[in-house]
Amino acid sequence: MARRAQILAIDAGGTMTDTFIIDDKGDFVVGKAQSTPEDESIGLLNSARDALTYWDTTVTDEFPKLLAGVYSGTAMLNRLVSRKGRKVGLIVNKGLEDFHRMGRSIQSYLGYSYSDRLHLNTHRYEPPIVPRSLTRGVTERVDLFGNVVIPLYEHEVEPAVEELLEQGVEAIVISLLQSYKYPDHERKIRDIANEVIQRTGKKIPVFASVDYYPVRKETHRTNTTIIEAYAADPSRETLQKINTSIKESGATFDLRVMASHGGTISTQANELARTLVSGPIGGVVGARYLGEYLGIPNIACSDIGGTSFDVALITQGDLSINSSPDMARLVLSLPLVAMDTIGAGAGSFVRIDPNFKSITLGPDSAGSRVGVCYEEGGIDTVTVSDCHVVLGLINPNNFLGGEIQLKPERAYEAVKTQIAEPLGLTVEEAAYGVIDLLESQLRNYLESMILGKGYSPSQYVCLSYGGGGPLHTAGYIKGLGFEDVLVPAWAAGFSAFGCGAADFEYRYDKTLDLNVNDGAVDEEKVQAGDQLQVAWDELIEKVAVEFDKNGIERKNVDFRLYFRMQYQGQLNDLEIEAPISSFRETQDWDALVNAFEETYTRVYAKAATSPELGYSVTGAIVRGIVDVAKPRIPEEPLVGETPPEEAYLGKRNVYWDGKYLEADIWEMEKLQPGNRIEAFAILESPATTFVIPPGFTTYLDKHRIFHLQEIE
Amino acid sequence: MAEYDRRTIEELVDGTIDFYKLKDMLSNFKDKNRFETYLSILQERVPWSDPILLPVGLHLYIVQKQDGSRIVKCDCGHEFCDEKDNWKLHSMIHVRDTEEKMSEIYPKLLAPDPQWQVIREYYCPSCATQLEVEAVTPWYPIIKDFEPDIDTFYNEWLQRPLPIGE
Repeated sequence: MARRAQILAIDAGGTMTDTFIIDDKGDFVVGKAQSTPEDESIGLLNSARDALTYWDTTVTDEFPKLLAGVYSGTAMLNRLVSRKGRKVGLIVNKGLEDFHRMGRSIQSYLGYSYSDRLHLNTHRYEPPIVPRSLTRGVTERVDLFGNVVIPLYEHEVEPAVEELLEQGVEAIVISLLQSYKYPDHERKIRDIANEVIQRTGKKIPVFASVDYYPVRKETHRTNTTIIEAYAADPSRETLQKINTSIKESGATFDLRVMASHGGTISTQANELARTLVSGPIGGVVGARYLGEYLGIPNIACSDIGGTSFDVALITQGDLSINSSPDMARLVLSLPLVAMDTIGAGAGSFVRIDPNFKSITLGPDSAGSRVGVCYEEGGIDTVTVSDCHVVLGLINPNNFLGGEIQLKPERAYEAVKTQIAEPLGLTVEEAAYGVIDLLESQLRNYLESMILGKGYSPSQYVCLSYGGGGPLHTAGYIKGLGFEDVLVPAWAAGFSAFGCGAADFEYRYDKTLDLNVNDGAVDEEKVQAGDQLQVAWDELIEKVAVEFDKNGIERKNVDFRLYFRMQYQGQLNDLEIEAPISSFRETQDWDALVNAFEETYTRVYAKAATSPELGYSVTGAIVRGIVDVAKPRIPEEPLVGETPPEEAYLGKRNVYWDGKYLEADIWEMEKLQPGNRIEAFAILESPATTFVIPPGFTTYLDKHRIFHLQEIE
Repeated sequence: MAEYDRRTIEELVDGTIDFYKLKDMLSNFKDKNRFETYLSILQERVPWSDPILLPVGLHLYIVQKQDGSRIVKCDCGHEFCDEKDNWKLHSMIHVRDTEEKMSEIYPKLLAPDPQWQVIREYYCPSCATQLEVEAVTPWYPIIKDFEPDIDTFYNEWLQRPLPIGE
């Protein structure tokens, strides 16, 4: 059958480069090859070649047919984590030379498990990216309202820059207090620095924080600008090399890079730091796309991988954005698709607490080394996957499509000696107990996440994907009362699908402080609104400049305006899409306030609205979106409830809740739209396993999405 | 269950252990043989042969004497007192209670006011090793820091015989 490759999604990891090639029917192939850090394009093309062999075709044949390509990778993140970036110099306010080194106290325990967060002995500050010896102070001070309290001592700039140059810095970052309120001083320093650099005949980039992240919180802003200079900007060359190389192979599009705000950006984008964290958000972006297509506004996304369980909510068709996330143990000021994570996955280690004789899960995990059942992995502590194998839930001969051979007897022996015997249980009981514990942890977590945000599971459709998700879906949704539960047949490749489904989108943020009291006169409202409009105009300009680099005209860009608002004096603001296309008059202010209070009511409660406090606009945001080719969501005619015989693989004994049951095994790919599968059934596909335990039933709809239903 | 080799525990005692290794140990359940290994490393490093029952400070140990008594003993072999007694009262004590004495260790104006707070330093009378430092109000009594129930610890927690029976 002739294929029409459509979308190329690349996930370049530290050791392996995965490529996903999606055709116009939503089918995809996955290719793998060793990463080649010295020239990533080599590994990428090898990986694409590997993928296309499954379709009996070649890069030369398929690349010209591709409509789009999206890159996401950990190469940049690795550069940061392994501290192999540029030698960066930092210029800050005189007297504050130590603030980057001191960091925020949260940085001493970011990424830790809950118990370690409480255990102070484990806390530790990483060495700063810019050492104190490469930091210089320049006298100036601006207060929090943006008034100049001490003018910039321009004569101090030149010696500071010269000293840094003498020490051989490869980039200079400038970050001053309150610069987002008054950018002139940072820009002046930037210009002087550029003159000095030019005079010395060197070529060193200068990064003023206001040109990148004009937002509040100097530690976040400084960290982010430093990362831009240290790790992200040096990666630009790599990305452009990949772009050139895929074009030489016949591609006709510009490669885009997945960015933390949930859109994709060009390799020429001003701010590249936000492409550092893009891996896990692909699935959420894909869920939003699927939701838009199917008309589902509220989706709870859940993904189980080897190491963690990730949950994200899409509410009214919108992702929620975290504007000060963290990465590599640094607090940052980047917009990141908000996601909650616990360290419980298929690879999580299972241990017995020696003091209380109870089963504990994680937080550490075997990751890609699976568990004791995978001899080559060299793991000797029981993992959740070992329990799957003991129970018969996963087929040891068909793990990752048979790529890895698992040894059930090793898993059995390990569960027996490490878990079952110390607890006085049979091996099956112990393994079932582990799975039961895992699923109830996931269920509690999922429920508390949704309730904690002021919503209820009954308002959401739960979407489950990832390699390990469908194995536990029934367990973690049991009794929560979701409106519906969906498992796409392409669950394992859903993150890549999501990367392919991301918009070509730039998003820029700016901090504002516009206070308007309750019952303010019209002039005050208009004044505040005008300032908001000035910020929007500035951001629209910034977005337009970015698209211009790819030759996209302003009139073809869909600009969407957002604002952040809170009641005066409260601590948390809300991000809301503006109900107006530009600010003109008093009524526009009222429209903004109404939109805010509507959202506030939804998130908190009607009774909590506090107009008497007055309002603060704390930020302006502009998103610019351009239409790009996206993967097609499959649509096939419904056939009937009875699954075809060739999809039936036989029966397997599976231990479930106290006894062995005979489960029907089906091949997921061969099931047809309309088919209904009754429990007890296991649907297998090369990269995922979908379990329909007693008490559940599922049917496959015309979009090749399974609906999992609880039988009352 | 975690298990560590002797070398790792030695690094732990010396404080030369790599942080990430230490973090893993801190985050994990304690290994069953830790106390035994730890004690044997301490024992190996002291020049005397009385069996150590428990460390009570950086250079101090409660040891078992042949005659059945348990006493507090320093690295150097200096024997302080019975473990029921407060070893601090048998040590050399240097109290920094004037501005002048404070200025020996603090920059000007950064020291506490000696009317409010004094610094008490405890030294071994034989080897002059600093054993303990306290920052306390001037009237504060000399407290015994630690009153271990060695018998219960060995019999019920460790379930391990004491070097010499009761």
